[in-house]
Amino acid sequence: MSDSTKSRRELLFEAGGGLSGIALAWLLGQDKLLASTDGSMAPKQPHFAPRAKSVISLFMSGGVSHVDTFDPKPMLHKYAGQPMTGKGDVVVRQGYPGPLMPSPFTFKKYGQSGLDVSEIFPLIAEHADEFALLRSVYGKSNDHVQAHYALATGMIRMGYPSLGAWVTYGLGSENENLPAFVVIYDAHGGPFGGPANWGAGFMPAAYQGTVFKPKGTPIVDLKPPASIAPEEQRARLDLLSKLNEMDLQKFPGNSELSARINSYELAYRMQGVAPEAVDVERESEATRKLYGMDNPATEPFARQCIMARRLVERGVRFVQLYHGGLGNQNLDTWDAHENVQKNHSQHAAEVDQPIAALLTDLKARGLLDSTLVTWQGEFGRMPISQRGVGRDHNPGTMSMWMAGARINGGQVIGSSDEFGYKAAEQPISINDLHATILHLLGMDHTKLTYLFNGRNMRLTDVYGELIPQIAG
Amino acid sequence: MQARFFFALLVAGTAASAADGDVSFSKQIQPILESRCWKCHGSAIQLGKLDLRSRAATVAGGEHGASLVPGKAEASPLYRRVAGLEKPAMPMDGKLTDEQVRLIKTWVDQGAPWDGLAPAASSDSQTQLTAMEDMPIPPEARNYWAFRKPTRVASPGPGNPIDAFLEKTWREKGLDPAPEADHVTLLRRAYLDLTGLPPAPAEAQAFLADRRPDAWERLIDRLLASPAYGERWGRHWLDVARYADSNGFEHDFDRPNAWRYRDYVIRAFNEDKPYDVFLREQLAGDEVPNVTNDSLIATGFLRNYAKVGFREKDNPEFRYDYLDDMIGTIGRGVLGLTVQCARCHNHKFDPIPQKDYYRLQASLWPYVEVDHPLVPADEAATYQRKVAAVNLRIADVRKQIKALEQPYRNLLLPAKYKAFPANVQEAIALPEEKRTEGQKLLANQVLLTVSVSSNEIDRVMRPNDLSAKKELLAEVQGIEKDRPAPIPMAMGITDGDYRFTPDGPGDEPAPGKGVKKADFAGSYVHTGAGPYEPPPSYFLIRGDVNSHGSLMRPGFITVATRGNPAVEMPQPGGHTSGRRLALAEWLISPDNPLTARVAVNRIWHHHFGRGLVATVDNFGKMGEIPTHPELLDWLALEFIDRGWSMKQMHRLIMTSHAYRMSSGFTSESDLAKDPDDHYVWRYRVHRLDAESVRDSILAASGGLNREMFGPPVFPVLQAEVRKSMSYGIWNQDEDGPKVWRRSVYVYRKRGLPFPLFEAFDLPDQNLSCGARNVTTVPTQALMLLNDDFVLKQAGLFADRVREAVPENAERQVDYAYRLALSRDPSEQERKLGLEFVSSHNLTGLAHVLLNLNEFLYVR
Repeated sequence: MSDSTKSRRELLFEAGGGLSGIALAWLLGQDKLLASTDGSMAPKQPHFAPRAKSVISLFMSGGVSHVDTFDPKPMLHKYAGQPMTGKGDVVVRQGYPGPLMPSPFTFKKYGQSGLDVSEIFPLIAEHADEFALLRSVYGKSNDHVQAHYALATGMIRMGYPSLGAWVTYGLGSENENLPAFVVIYDAHGGPFGGPANWGAGFMPAAYQGTVFKPKGTPIVDLKPPASIAPEEQRARLDLLSKLNEMDLQKFPGNSELSARINSYELAYRMQGVAPEAVDVERESEATRKLYGMDNPATEPFARQCIMARRLVERGVRFVQLYHGGLGNQNLDTWDAHENVQKNHSQHAAEVDQPIAALLTDLKARGLLDSTLVTWQGEFGRMPISQRGVGRDHNPGTMSMWMAGARINGGQVIGSSDEFGYKAAEQPISINDLHATILHLLGMDHTKLTYLFNGRNMRLTDVYGELIPQIAG
Repeated sequence: MQARFFFALLVAGTAASAADGDVSFSKQIQPILESRCWKCHGSAIQLGKLDLRSRAATVAGGEHGASLVPGKAEASPLYRRVAGLEKPAMPMDGKLTDEQVRLIKTWVDQGAPWDGLAPAASSDSQTQLTAMEDMPIPPEARNYWAFRKPTRVASPGPGNPIDAFLEKTWREKGLDPAPEADHVTLLRRAYLDLTGLPPAPAEAQAFLADRRPDAWERLIDRLLASPAYGERWGRHWLDVARYADSNGFEHDFDRPNAWRYRDYVIRAFNEDKPYDVFLREQLAGDEVPNVTNDSLIATGFLRNYAKVGFREKDNPEFRYDYLDDMIGTIGRGVLGLTVQCARCHNHKFDPIPQKDYYRLQASLWPYVEVDHPLVPADEAATYQRKVAAVNLRIADVRKQIKALEQPYRNLLLPAKYKAFPANVQEAIALPEEKRTEGQKLLANQVLLTVSVSSNEIDRVMRPNDLSAKKELLAEVQGIEKDRPAPIPMAMGITDGDYRFTPDGPGDEPAPGKGVKKADFAGSYVHTGAGPYEPPPSYFLIRGDVNSHGSLMRPGFITVATRGNPAVEMPQPGGHTSGRRLALAEWLISPDNPLTARVAVNRIWHHHFGRGLVATVDNFGKMGEIPTHPELLDWLALEFIDRGWSMKQMHRLIMTSHAYRMSSGFTSESDLAKDPDDHYVWRYRVHRLDAESVRDSILAASGGLNREMFGPPVFPVLQAEVRKSMSYGIWNQDEDGPKVWRRSVYVYRKRGLPFPLFEAFDLPDQNLSCGARNVTTVPTQALMLLNDDFVLKQAGLFADRVREAVPENAERQVDYAYRLALSRDPSEQERKLGLEFVSSHNLTGLAHVLLNLNEFLYVR
């Protein structure tokens, strides 16, 4: 498939009208595309049997503190109020280092696995046996934006395709009426770094994420304004199609011109399909309640989670949810510089029930085995305090978890050091993480390549090793 | 595969060690160290300050601590890294075999006996370093087509040589070329290609009525002379130059002077500035013998990189990325080479040694960011003097204000501390010497960072103090009146010493943070007497900014260099190294085999929708080979001979038959032989680019504001889109003529590409781009169907038609066609149009016309 340089180049530079091939792939789904072209493009099958067909990524923007959520550190109690020593330079993002600070939260053991989870995630904790917890993921930057980009694209520099774009490029779409890669960000605003988080970088823009709004018309420009009645729009489309078809006679066999004609019909169908696809009102009362639609605190993220499930049900490949968006950075994201107890209690309460419900719901519908659910922020937080009760950024280690895709739940992978300052056992890089996610989707990260700048570019650059406990 | 390896280690590894006998250091371990480790941790260099040549040094370790704990492999980074248990895994250039890893584990567990001799006295370290850094370039590498100088082949036939060269391949391949396209098609092709705008009805009429034999040539000359030409073709170059109006990254700071570079590019194209001069100014406009405002503005080319612009001093590695971006842009944009691939190792496909990369880096290394004043030197000096004087006076008054505020500040500060948690307050309450180590940290976190604002003080000031402060503030205001009006500045670069860069945003001068102030003499830019001395730069082993190899001299791409061109051209009495000028001269030298070829190929690409070399940015091994090598060379040499004139190349190309061929022509036999038209047997239908889509809509509606140049405009963003923006600016301009300027003037925000452009394949604004992707996706259709901007323009379009031909539906349909498509409708089209207008409305018809394939494609 994509490791065949020739076919990609054919696609890029030789297709009759530039990249109409790719566009068609997106428009019509891979198989139909292949039937309609000269066969120079090999099928976009995965490299091997996938464990998951879709991904839901739950991104806690601002940086979740691992020592307050999934990585308890008794040593922080023992050495509370003392400087952190023996760790080399203590690098903080803001101001000056403070003393070690124990978590204000208590931890309890959950599930048969006895996983330690903080009291702020009582409902997610009930699923302890369903997710694999990674405690040694380390990042590339202690700046929000670069850390977001690293999670999104593997690189801290701008201009690279996001994971969702790679997945779309590698696998195409399963639903011809919906984008393959959907992004739903927090009601407060976009995440740090904005649209570059779901960009296509040097790849064609067709692979980038499409933003769905949580309320109202889901996609920008999906519907005409109220001044144009549906019949009026249909009449315009009919005339357009008639005139375009007449014109096409002058260019027999031009695939790009006919692709554009089709794109209008698809756009028209999307107008109907997309709102229905994410219409949470169509869910039963019980389901809505399960997610927390009836509680103003959980309602926004509950909505995002239900939308995600509905999209995955309809064949969308990659759904990227963000919790935490730029309004007021301290209040509206997980960026707990001021007060980790206050910040994390609030945000955990906003996502705990919706996320737990998502896992329950996916499982009940038989979707969990074919869906990979990942939960992470862009970095962990410091074991030392910032001005008393806050915590600064810490890319040295963070905790994240992965559920679904037949991953063995209840296991803990890797560890951080005794304070939680850096990854200790089995450090996992973001490249490793990406390699593993692609693997679960049936793709070999060393073979999923895109020719750019004279190089077969990879999501994992020249790095990336599978996490054996997950990929094995 | 990785997984298996990992488990094999944990399971098989332990079992094996127990079963093994004693491992011999000299026979089994030393050979591994010698062949795999000492290259980087041996006599030549000790990366990470780690030296693995003796047991003592290995135990002592490097900057990451001890490397060897004898008897405990699991605790020894030496073992953990070769086993992949710790990152980064070693060796960096490829794993050891399982057997070798097992041996090392056993050996360490057995106490790491070191019975070997000291490493054989090898050659001195400089020789070793050189051996590691240098890649010999085989002589045959120069024979690759792109590295040979273009050779002139006589035109194989009469007439326009372009046609003669193409005809030769048609004959060879048995292809039938298409006949000439009709005049309306040609007219639109020329307009959209050269100006990015469709012809106005009157212009169309004039051309269609022109029966003179040279009507076509006259049209081309007229379009080349139109200011719209620079707005269109300048935009192509702005893609190469990765131009944007904001920094990118988290803060995405505005670049208030970036637009001057954009205007410079438009002017350069309109003036037909010779390409060699154009390049020289952009590389070294501050170093050329005749520095002008334009040449200074041109140096913005190198400064167009995406920039973090925050806490740069804490992150000195950023600068290396900016340099990499410049090298990438010059490489792809000017040379058609992927030089960036050689940042960490020798280029894998092309004969570009890593050392060439660092030679180029050394050529650019002295750069510092500056804003060049665009007024005469004495005027600028006067300005700066006046500003300094005003600042000094203000500082003096501010000091008085501060003194006035101080008692209140002292009073308020403790109150502010009360806002902090109990543990902090406790720590602060204690006298310094009574605080525990942890309390000292806590107290400092607050004491060193909390301040009292002026407003807070105002609220508690006694009236007489407050009025005194107000008087002083009024005094400041008064002094401000003496501040001279800002002089125009260009965002550019010059040579200097980056180690003296003034503090920027986020560079708070906190103890222990940021780069240490240099303990050597120097200044940011060299202004004094005596020669300028550039700061040193080094070969970076594996691209690691902390792993210095040899000191680097400036230089170029060896395989594309003939003779010994100068690598520095300092100007007498100048304040720069002249390295960039030398680089520019090398680029534009007739001996350079790439520059002219890459330039003419790009011109060809924009005219035909595909280059003679399809990979316009990559002439290396991974790129395509030219379909018409002789023609490419002929054009390249012609370009140089004609004084690097772009306009002459346009004229030459557009007056060929090849350019005027029909795109609707089909031939079963041609299609079978060359389905993708590589050999140009017909003209290629290609979609308007993003800017032309918007500009064409505005042209048809009559809304287009043709004002040129100046600060960028901010078309309306939907609220939802605005919300996804992280930081930086997007001004709230009204939807109206002010923002209905040509798209080249729309604000280019790295963090938020303008949605209409993005939908129509705007390239990533952070990377140099010679050929945009072209996609066909439903979001484009949705935007043209439903976006407020398009609908509003459709309304204006209909108004314009009604105004021109009131109350005659048939003539209205005709006129709408002329505005959008430069032709009258066919009988059937007129009929359909009339039916639609009578059953619906004219606006609807106008809207449909703006969505037609015929409107959106050059063909």
